[in-house]
Amino acid sequence: MNDTIVEARNLIKHYKDLNALDNVNLRLTANRIYGLLGRNGAGKTTLMSILTAQAFATSGEALVFGASAYENDAVLSRICFIRESQKYPDDFQPQHAFRSAALFYKNWDQGFADRLAEDFQLPVKRRIKKLSRGQLSAVGVIIGLASRAELTFFDEPYLGLDAVARQLFYDRLVEDYAAHPRTIILSSHLIDEVANLLEHVVVIDRGRIIMDADAEEIRGSAVTVSGSAEKVDTFLAGRRILHRETLGSLASVTVDEVLSGSERTEAQELGLELSPVSLQQLVVRKTMAGAGTAGTDSGDFADDTMEARR
Amino acid sequence: MSRTMAVARMQLINKWTYIGWPLTILAASFLMSLAIFALIPVTEGKNGGGSQAPLWYFLVLGIQSMTLVFPFSQGLSISRRAFYLGTLGLFSLIALGMTVLYMVGGVLEKATNGWGVYGYFFNIPWVTDGPWYSTAAFFFVVMMFMFIIGFWFATIFKRWGTTGTLVSTLGTAIALIGIAALTTLFQGWGHVGNWFAQQTPLTISGWAALLCVVLAAGSYTTLRRATP
Repeated sequence: MNDTIVEARNLIKHYKDLNALDNVNLRLTANRIYGLLGRNGAGKTTLMSILTAQAFATSGEALVFGASAYENDAVLSRICFIRESQKYPDDFQPQHAFRSAALFYKNWDQGFADRLAEDFQLPVKRRIKKLSRGQLSAVGVIIGLASRAELTFFDEPYLGLDAVARQLFYDRLVEDYAAHPRTIILSSHLIDEVANLLEHVVVIDRGRIIMDADAEEIRGSAVTVSGSAEKVDTFLAGRRILHRETLGSLASVTVDEVLSGSERTEAQELGLELSPVSLQQLVVRKTMAGAGTAGTDSGDFADDTMEARR
Repeated sequence: MSRTMAVARMQLINKWTYIGWPLTILAASFLMSLAIFALIPVTEGKNGGGSQAPLWYFLVLGIQSMTLVFPFSQGLSISRRAFYLGTLGLFSLIALGMTVLYMVGGVLEKATNGWGVYGYFFNIPWVTDGPWYSTAAFFFVVMMFMFIIGFWFATIFKRWGTTGTLVSTLGTAIALIGIAALTTLFQGWGHVGNWFAQQTPLTISGWAALLCVVLAAGSYTTLRRATP
């Protein structure tokens, strides 16, 4: 049985001055929740657009349910991809958008859509162009959930949603996914928030896939060792170091490796502290490690913190 | 096929866009024209140009179906073909309905001697002079033309952005001016005038229909590679 439902082969998307996708190879299997993670502009939306035939690759192949989605009703009818900047007809209210979706998705659940609208306190009879950013996101989230399409993409669905609404979305997603298994691709840069939902993680950076692994596998794949700098460095000599931080004579070093039982005991005997690395930290470290020299790394990081502060 | 139909139905979910607003615009324009006709104390036939008002709205609808409805249809994973056929089908349906309305209006207008105030809104000199089918064809084609030209320009915009729109608009203008210049150079205006004098509303409709077909085909080719 081949249950691959999304396959990208050597996908390249070239814009005038940048490679939005740089030789992407990907294979996703049915009925799982995928996280498509990466920084803004990393290529997440481009990849999803090409898979759903909303945009075109410069070269390479994108297969969904074994065929190209382009002008292919048999494939398209099983996909839902409401983009983060989704546009709606000028006179449309959320209720009109939902009734439109009902025309095209055979598994559309109007009752579910109504309940979700109530949960999100969405004014279904207000013109969409008058909605706030969060309410606009809610419209997309509701269409994505209630369409129950076999392959559903959520493109940074939480923009403008408050913490309560975001939690509601995550909860409803998990509940509905349990009752109606399907393949969900959740693109996000709020990694910690979605980490627990994800079964498989794909990290994209500058158009390249830099991580493609099961969430379980990733959770134990790295460790942070802290203690006296000298001892830490001796203990970790020769290992794949992702990140190193020092404070006086203390060091905290993240390694991209699994420690064996005896190594853990050894570390404890040396008085070193071992702590797990969150998915978000790991993605950040790997993204930065892949960005090139240490000098530019710190530059990038400074930019990020600056951005975060604004 | 069912998805094509669904595209048309989707755009009728909000009845205002394609039915309510055109009728409101027509009614408002009609009532205003009537008021003006009534104020002019002349017992000869008075003609107004108010019946063209909904046409400009159709131009806007043509543009919006491409700039807003197309991206939405992509979000619902509707193929470009289904979107195109469904939208064009809807245009035709609305143009047909409006044509019927204009024809009925024209008949009533004649029967009531210009609504009792000698004002002619639906009857337009030359256009409605011929047989009924010539008038109907003219109304229908002109309405389709407005939709399609809006749709066509918006497809250009979607595909090639502001530059593309500018180039195609300027290009069209330059081509027209070029033709006019050549006509002057070869002293051909007499022939052009003769040609136009020979046209009837029916033949004009024919030429416009031909142009519609060309533009519609052009839109489809452009739309095939357009992204939301």
